[in-house]
Amino acid sequence: MKNHLAALWLLVVCVLLGHNAWLWLGQRITPDTDIMALLPVQQRDPVLQLSFNHMVDAAQQRVIVLIGAANWSDAKRAADAYSSVLAGRPEVLTAAVVTDQTQQDWLALFQQHSLVLMTSAAQKQVQQESEKFWADTALRQLYSPFSGPHLGAWRDDPYGLFAGWVQERAQETPVRPRDGYLSVSTADGALQYVLLSLTVRAPVFGMSTQRTVTALLDQAHAQTLKAVPKADIVTAGVVLHAAAAGLQATGEIWTIGLGSLLGMILLMWITFHTFKPIALILLSIAIGSLGSLSVCWLLFGHIHLLTLVFGASLIGVAQDYGIFFLAHRLYASAQLSSAGLLKRLLPSLALTLVAAVIGYMGLAFTPFPGLRNMAVFSAIGLIFAWLTVVCWFPQLVNPTSLKSGRAVQLYETSLQRWPVWRNTPVAWLALLIVGGITVTGIARLNANDDIRLLQNSPRQLIRDQISMSRLLDAPTPVQFYLVRADSEQQLLEREETLKLNLDVLIEQKKLSGYQAVSNWVPSARTQQLRVQLIHQKLLNAPLQDVSQQIGAEPDWVAQTRLHLEQFGSMLTVDQFLAAPAGEPWRHLWLGKTVNGYASIVALRGLAQKDIEAVRHAGNGQSGVQWVDKVAEISGVLGQYRLYMGWVVVCSTLVIFGLLSLRYGRSAWRVLLPSVLASLMTLALLGLTSQPVQLFHVLAFMLLLGVGIDYGIFMQETVSTNVAPAWMATGLSAADTLLSFGLLALSKTPALQAFGLTMLSGITLVWLTVPLFRKAASHGNN
Amino acid sequence: MIRLLFTAALFMWSTAHAEVPSLAAQIQALLAKPATLCGHFEQTKNLSGMKKPLLSNGRFCVVNGKGVLWRTLQPFPSTLRLTRDEIVNFQGDRVAMRLDAGKEPTVRMINSVLFALLSGDLSGLDALFVVEGKVSGSSWHVALTARQPGLAKAIGAISLDGAAYVNTIHMDEASGDKTTIQFSSIQTGDAALQPAEAAMF
Repeated sequence: MKNHLAALWLLVVCVLLGHNAWLWLGQRITPDTDIMALLPVQQRDPVLQLSFNHMVDAAQQRVIVLIGAANWSDAKRAADAYSSVLAGRPEVLTAAVVTDQTQQDWLALFQQHSLVLMTSAAQKQVQQESEKFWADTALRQLYSPFSGPHLGAWRDDPYGLFAGWVQERAQETPVRPRDGYLSVSTADGALQYVLLSLTVRAPVFGMSTQRTVTALLDQAHAQTLKAVPKADIVTAGVVLHAAAAGLQATGEIWTIGLGSLLGMILLMWITFHTFKPIALILLSIAIGSLGSLSVCWLLFGHIHLLTLVFGASLIGVAQDYGIFFLAHRLYASAQLSSAGLLKRLLPSLALTLVAAVIGYMGLAFTPFPGLRNMAVFSAIGLIFAWLTVVCWFPQLVNPTSLKSGRAVQLYETSLQRWPVWRNTPVAWLALLIVGGITVTGIARLNANDDIRLLQNSPRQLIRDQISMSRLLDAPTPVQFYLVRADSEQQLLEREETLKLNLDVLIEQKKLSGYQAVSNWVPSARTQQLRVQLIHQKLLNAPLQDVSQQIGAEPDWVAQTRLHLEQFGSMLTVDQFLAAPAGEPWRHLWLGKTVNGYASIVALRGLAQKDIEAVRHAGNGQSGVQWVDKVAEISGVLGQYRLYMGWVVVCSTLVIFGLLSLRYGRSAWRVLLPSVLASLMTLALLGLTSQPVQLFHVLAFMLLLGVGIDYGIFMQETVSTNVAPAWMATGLSAADTLLSFGLLALSKTPALQAFGLTMLSGITLVWLTVPLFRKAASHGNN
Repeated sequence: MIRLLFTAALFMWSTAHAEVPSLAAQIQALLAKPATLCGHFEQTKNLSGMKKPLLSNGRFCVVNGKGVLWRTLQPFPSTLRLTRDEIVNFQGDRVAMRLDAGKEPTVRMINSVLFALLSGDLSGLDALFVVEGKVSGSSWHVALTARQPGLAKAIGAISLDGAAYVNTIHMDEASGDKTTIQFSSIQTGDAALQPAEAAMF
């Protein structure tokens, strides 16, 4: 029977090996690094989703490079050196071209409609100022050669209203075409930059793309510094952050996985003095990992890199079954066959597996695809490792093949001096003190779910990002207003109303500006109002006045009025979007959607501290919605922190029920160490003022699974000898500490939070689990 | 003039060519290039749609390292001050218009070109214009053509006449507006600045 099982398992393992070989060697699969894949897929408002896609698509594939020098000609030379490297690899990155054509066409459309295009400040002036004021303005424009910005002939725009509008539009970005480049300079003019807008040709979340792009950019960077040693190069783009995160995670798989493995090998050698148990446990873990990979790939069609990082820590749990068996083999009498021993251990082994899988499966109930991926990966890995122990270990381990060393005896005797919980005043006092500290700590807990805590980009990247946003004054793609309406005109009108509120914020210096299609194309209502105003106030009396002052011909007023009226036709959104001038703003216009029309009002110069004030600018206005992707994701993380917290509590109760079936009234002895360790770890977070986030809660879930293993170990062998259980607990805890202790060294904040929780939790479980063993087995305690 | 430059600066910077023609060097040699230069100007404008020319006059000052002051006195008083970081237009004490370089990055470029035009420093114009012309004795004539076709179309032609100083600037805009500015009574040195003018910088 046993042999049949072993043979059957061998068959399964061969299939696994084949499948894995096919995946890695045949299919050449690579893990995902897209951070967004870790976030929940939700039933969303499709228009909201579309607006976010519009904003992100405009940004995601792009890499912006600023190449600066103290003077413009050096900046151009540096930019040429940079571009020449990129030009060799057009399949990786392409640069946007600044053409003469677009520059020429830029004004053409607007000049046709110049009468209806003026700033809102100018419109107010037309309403308020006297006819004399406008006559003076026109004369000033007329006589002074330096009268202010002016486009075309004087009589095309005698009051300079259109020129003012063009100037306001130009100021929506500090970037200017110059000598066939795009240029921008620091506020004090000390540095001149050439702006290169690059598009990554392949999806930026592929690891090979990231490697190619960063290598090419590094090469261009080096080449530029060779040409112009003092050049200042500022680079920003999603791909750079993704590459940095990918590199870090790949590195950590090695350090954490390898560190965990080395620590484990050392411990095993100290314990068993032969390499056979190490080989056996590695075998069970390896089969567990292969199984996880195969099943995950079959179920999901992809593996996330963070799943693999998380999977690396799985080694800490998957070893428990092998260790439990081997520890008992070490102490069992040589007369007991390995198959017989397994039969005895099977109930507790099964219990530990079920408890751990319950712990991990809690993850599968979250809507996070990445976490489901991890849940399946972990549960399958544990089941496969467990099956390997059950099917193969009795065949592979002879009753006499293990012997212990001195270190083992030292550790073994430590248990005899370990106190045991009794109903004494001293014990209760100790509990009271610990309880007091714990309650104090927990009372001081606070939570912070800000997603930015999970991001840990290299400092250089963040510095570049900051100086770039200062130089370009570009709007943030993650916070903006989404405006909806039943018709195009209503949409433009709603934008205009919203902008009135935003203007107040600009005056308060909470914003530096906004971008909206209505900046370019006023609503028909506004355009009509302006034509009316101009007819009323600007085309009669002021022109007469000017005519008198300059002694123009009698028909000059009528001629000029006629000339101006031809620029009074309505500008439409379609005309604007189709024109070259509209190209940079197309992403703001969602146009006709599943229900009605929608557009985006993007905000420039929005600081974190002012979000609270700015987000309410659209309050009470129908069809206007504040969109804050950062807050939204953080909110989701917070929701799931709470939700997962309840999963931990419920799992504990379910497991308590399961344990009660086997241990009856002693079930609390199994569970209490885990619960106490969790509470004390929570208190520790409170006392050290670390805000709780989702990843702490995930660690508590794992802690529960592992802690209960130890509880079960210690209870199961109570009738015979407690030494093998203590040995298994110690080995497993030490290994878990090694693997998760290394996780605490991770630079990824989420993994670090996870690791620190495990570090404290496992230590506490290990220390408290002997306190609650049944005292009867050791009379001297 | 400034409106031409704005057309140029806002959207249509031209392609630069590195070589400075020797003509500029010859003219450079003829120019007096004082640190401070003030004088009288007479401006004649011929606007499209209007037969009668518009006349105005006033004073101007070019101060090396500080900027340009342009005071129209007749028929309507109005003062324009161009410094490194801003362009301000005063109507009496009232500021009728102000542009600062922080908001409009092209302000610096406009000011440097205006400074170059008024002081005759052609090398400063080379980035935007092809400079052609001739030197005869101690006087010179140059025609400026925008290097970029789009810019040339918008601006038309600019020509300068001068000797030790710029004497005349003539501009033919593509829109049909024409402007001629003649300079006279040139004074140099610190004393050239009237107290009111000195106070403006």
